[in-house]
Amino acid sequence: MDELELLKKDWKKQESSLPHYKAKELYPMLLKKSSSIVKWIFIISIIELGLGIILNIFMMDDNFWKELENMHLKTVTIIIYCLSYLITGFFIYKFYKNFKSISTTDNASRLMRNILKTRRVVKHYILYVLISAGITGLLFFIFTFIYPPEGIELNPESINWFKIIAIGVFMITIFLLILWGIYSLVYGILLKKLKQNYREIKKLEMQS
Amino acid sequence: MTKELENSFVELLEKHQNIVHKVCRIYTNSQDAHNDLFQEITIQLWKAYPKFRGEAKFSTWMYRVALNTAITLYRKSKRRVKTQDFDTVLFRIKAEEYDDTTEQQLKVMYAALHELNDIDKALVFLYLEDKNYNEISEMLGVSEVNARVKMNRIKKKLRSILNP
Repeated sequence: MDELELLKKDWKKQESSLPHYKAKELYPMLLKKSSSIVKWIFIISIIELGLGIILNIFMMDDNFWKELENMHLKTVTIIIYCLSYLITGFFIYKFYKNFKSISTTDNASRLMRNILKTRRVVKHYILYVLISAGITGLLFFIFTFIYPPEGIELNPESINWFKIIAIGVFMITIFLLILWGIYSLVYGILLKKLKQNYREIKKLEMQS
Repeated sequence: MTKELENSFVELLEKHQNIVHKVCRIYTNSQDAHNDLFQEITIQLWKAYPKFRGEAKFSTWMYRVALNTAITLYRKSKRRVKTQDFDTVLFRIKAEEYDDTTEQQLKVMYAALHELNDIDKALVFLYLEDKNYNEISEMLGVSEVNARVKMNRIKKKLRSILNP
C-alpha cells in the first residue's frame, strides 16, 4: 500500500480522538483578543506613522523657530515640513489601502504577499524618515558652523569644511545604521516565519 | 455583530470543529499550543464570518481560514518551549488493528510529517483530508501541476524514510 494511503487510513480514524468543544465553551472564545501577526503589524505601524507626526509637532515650539531664523533655515524648514506631511499622508493612504486588502479568506500565497506588501510600505516610510532625518541633520550641522549661535565666534576661514562634513556624515550614518539595525531586528523576529513560508511557496511555484 | 449571527456561527463551528482540531494537530505539538491555535483560528473565522456569503461550503471556507491562520498569522507563544521529540502516541490513537510493523511505520511517518515545513504540511494535510489537487491549488495559491509534483516528492521522501 502507498505510504500516504496508509497514513490517510489512520488519519481518518483519529476523528474519534479529537477534542470536542460544546457551544457554551465556544462563545467566550469569540470575545478573546487576537494575537495574530497582522494585528501586531497594524499596531506597530500605526505607532510608527504616528510617532513621526507627534515628534514634529512637539519640536515646533517658539525657541525652535527662533533658532531656525538665526540659522537662516526657517523657509527651508517650512518647505521640508510641508513636503514631509504630504509624503506621510501618501504613505498612510498606501498603508491603509494595503491593510484593507489583507483577508484570511484569500489563498495562502496571496495572503502572505499582501501582508508583506503592507509591511513594505511602512518599511519604506521608515527608510524615508531616516534618510530625510539624515539630510536635515547634516544641513543643520553645516549651518551651525556658517551661522553659529549667539556668543560663539567662529572664523569661517579657519574651518576645515571637508573634515566637518566628513565627521557630520559619519556621525549621522552611524546613528541611522543603529536605528535601522534595531528596526530590522524587531521585524526580523516578527516576520521570520511568514517570510520563510512565503519563500517556500514561491519555491514550490518555481521549482516544479 | 448581532446575536443571531453569533448563534449561527457557533452552531456551524461546533458542527465542523474537527477541521480546526485537525489543523491544530498538524501544526502544533503540545496541548497548550493546540488550544492557543484553536483560539486564534476561532477568532479569525469569527472576524471573517460576516463576509461569508455561503457561495462555498462552510467547511471549505473553514479549511482556508484555518490553514491561513496556522501558516501565516499564528505566532507561537514565547513562554512555550518547543518540543522537538514529540510523543506520537499523544498525536494519534493507537490503532489496534495494525500490527507492530505498521504501527512503527505510522509512528515514523507522523514524526516525518511534523518535520515538514509549514507549506508541505498544508499539502499533506489537504491530501489526507481527501481534497483534490484543484482544491489544494486554490487554497494554497499554486498551480495544480506544481501541487501534484510537490506531493509526489513528499511521497518519495516518506518512502525513503520508511525504506532507507
